[in-house]
Amino acid sequence: MNTQDKTTQATDKSLEAMRHFSEQYAKRTDTYFCVDLGVTAVVIEGLAKHKDELGAPLCPCRHYEDKQAEAAAAYWNCPCVPMRERKECHCMLFLTPDNDFAGDKQEIAFEEIRATTNQY
Amino acid sequence: MSAAAQVTDSTFKQEVLESDVPVLVDFWAPWCGPCRMVAPVVDEIADQYTGQVKVVKVNTDENPSVASQYGIRSIPTLMIFKGGQRVDMVVGAVPKTTLASTLEKHL
Repeated sequence: MNTQDKTTQATDKSLEAMRHFSEQYAKRTDTYFCVDLGVTAVVIEGLAKHKDELGAPLCPCRHYEDKQAEAAAAYWNCPCVPMRERKECHCMLFLTPDNDFAGDKQEIAFEEIRATTNQY
Repeated sequence: MSAAAQVTDSTFKQEVLESDVPVLVDFWAPWCGPCRMVAPVVDEIADQYTGQVKVVKVNTDENPSVASQYGIRSIPTLMIFKGGQRVDMVVGAVPKTTLASTLEKHL
């Protein structure tokens, strides 16, 4: 078992980049954040963390045999192919308005994200 | 903190495969939003079925062997094991009723 700290946060720079991307992408695709913004916060932190570690925002809601290889393959880099083709985000970051879990927000503040992820 | 114990690559065989009662395994990862959403549901199931079902969690980042062995891709994935075999699974942040009805089939 590796001893890497599982809940280390991303750098502020990557978090801000992914936060900004998430807002822009939601608005551009007419999708909404989860009614529970805690879910949104955790996913954005995960994307930013992968951006720090792998150079690409690999989806944090999948298990990979080899994260470096997956990041290079790009299929699951956010926005992933299923999201771009069919608006399918199993991470629940970008939800279509008909989704039961969709809220009415397309914005989330940096402090809002860290208020959630500081708990983990 | 949680009603469900964490299981690792090294304890999976003993805690899950060799369990006398059916086991619900929650495969999760730290920065997976839907995993955070389903965690309290899994804890409620653990309380509700105390004695009938063992409920455990596997952090896939820290335990890649068992996650790969069972072909975990999308997370959260919830698997039910009985007599050392995987007998059912549900993927994603499902409602408690869905999880409970899936579980009931194997009790």
